[in-house]
Amino acid sequence: MRSAAFEDELLDTRFRVETPEGIGLAVAPAGVVSRLYAFAIDFGVRLALFGVLSLVLDNLGGFGFGIGLVVFFALEWLYPVVFELSEGAATPGKRALGLRVVMDSGLPVTPAASLTRNLLRAADFMPFLYAFGLLAMLLRPDFKRLGDLAAGTLVVHWERPPSGHALPSVAPRPPAERLSPRAQSAIVAWAGRVARLTPARADELAAIAAPAVVPRVAAEQRVAALVGVAHWLLGHR
Amino acid sequence: MTPLQFEAGHAAVWNELEAALDATRKKIAPARADRARLAELYRATCEHLAIAQARAYPVPMIERLEALTARAHQRIYRQADFGIGRLGRLFLVDFPVAVRAHRMQVLIALLVFAGPLLAVGVACYLDPGFVLSLHDVGTVDEYERMYGDSELPIGRANAGSDWAMFGHYIRNNIGIAFQCFASGIFFGAGSVFFLAVNGLLAGSIAGYLTWRGHGETFYSFVITHSAFELTAIVLAGAAGLVLGQALLAPGRRTRLAALQDAAQRASVLVYGITAMFVVAAALEAFWSSARWVEPSVKFAVGGVCWVAVIAYLSLQGRPPRAANRR
Repeated sequence: MRSAAFEDELLDTRFRVETPEGIGLAVAPAGVVSRLYAFAIDFGVRLALFGVLSLVLDNLGGFGFGIGLVVFFALEWLYPVVFELSEGAATPGKRALGLRVVMDSGLPVTPAASLTRNLLRAADFMPFLYAFGLLAMLLRPDFKRLGDLAAGTLVVHWERPPSGHALPSVAPRPPAERLSPRAQSAIVAWAGRVARLTPARADELAAIAAPAVVPRVAAEQRVAALVGVAHWLLGHR
Repeated sequence: MTPLQFEAGHAAVWNELEAALDATRKKIAPARADRARLAELYRATCEHLAIAQARAYPVPMIERLEALTARAHQRIYRQADFGIGRLGRLFLVDFPVAVRAHRMQVLIALLVFAGPLLAVGVACYLDPGFVLSLHDVGTVDEYERMYGDSELPIGRANAGSDWAMFGHYIRNNIGIAFQCFASGIFFGAGSVFFLAVNGLLAGSIAGYLTWRGHGETFYSFVITHSAFELTAIVLAGAAGLVLGQALLAPGRRTRLAALQDAAQRASVLVYGITAMFVVAAALEAFWSSARWVEPSVKFAVGGVCWVAVIAYLSLQGRPPRAANRR
């Protein structure tokens, strides 16, 4: 359900899915590297779980050995399914990297889809070391492996770091002319990033907007003046 | 209205939604009043997000609202329909109905599996040397020890306990079945391959052991659990063929859409197959291997199991006839 109706069609691999409430959820598919790290962490977790359990089961003879094999089977096939259907919708490895499994439509992953994507791991693994899965992921902008294709699921970056910061405190001042909403938003977004930019870059960007927004301000003052305008736009008076 | 006024006016709703999401975090089904309130807050926040986007309000505010609505969206639309009732419906209705709905694939899978099985079985019976073109001498010897006269339970080459064998059957057999299903995504070729190979291996051993005169031991061993195991492997192959068929003949949809629909349908089969394999593993480990049970008893029980499985798959879950409904 990709929607082209949104104005801000994104340049990168992100896209928007529309919900019944009429809002667009931004979905950021996770690429090969972060998923590889997640897989490595999960591998470690599974190994540790199996190690601890087999220490206990070793004392139980043939019964323990049998249960150990059942546990091995469960860790091999059902470990991701159980975690994907729990609250975080991700295995511990994915959670550690801020990833989550969702449906193509942005909806929470369903039991059938989770099972399908994890059983098809067997196909992704062929002919060796997830070669087909890797190939499929590299060929697609939404990084789906075969299991994701069949199940209609996506692995997405869920926790994103905030892109804005607090504005430097400057006395608010009105802009010289009425600004369009897009221009307002650009100035406020720029002001939020000033603290992270080098002074030279902040000034370079300010130089683009200054002639229209704060025309009668000296070149040395234009960064401060523009931040002041941003404060004014936010509603400080 | 400035962004600050907007935030001051509505932050209470956003904070309440955030708190409500945290509070219902662990509960799959929160209380009715909580759910109603959550939906109300969610809709209000969606509205605020839409307004904020339309007015190009500051990015941090929009990001906060986006994160909040995304969280609530995941919470509200979460499917929580797995439970005892759902499971009961799956086995009483959905699974056998799904098997019958895909009877063509089941038939093809059966032919692909049973064809090689019977052909190689007959070949190995008539010409026992043929078994060596599929297995090496060591493996054949091992099979002879497993089904010949020995102190060990039937089907064991060494003294593993019943539980150990149960674990082995679960891990090994269900793994093979999952592989057989999953490789169906390669246009069905993988499923055909695994079905045929498993048919070949089973047929060669059966044919050879029959020629050696271990037939009674061997068939009394396999008859009970094979009702579940052989049926399930054929169904696993059929589930893989469902995927393959969607890719080969997607009809009026794109291949991807057809594949996703097929996977949805096949997943019902996979649930049932998994359960059948668990039953088969338990029978194979604890019942089939017992030497103290007379072969005739096993044949009787096994026969009943075959009839039960076939009846279950072909009759269970049918809607009542129109005549009976009145």
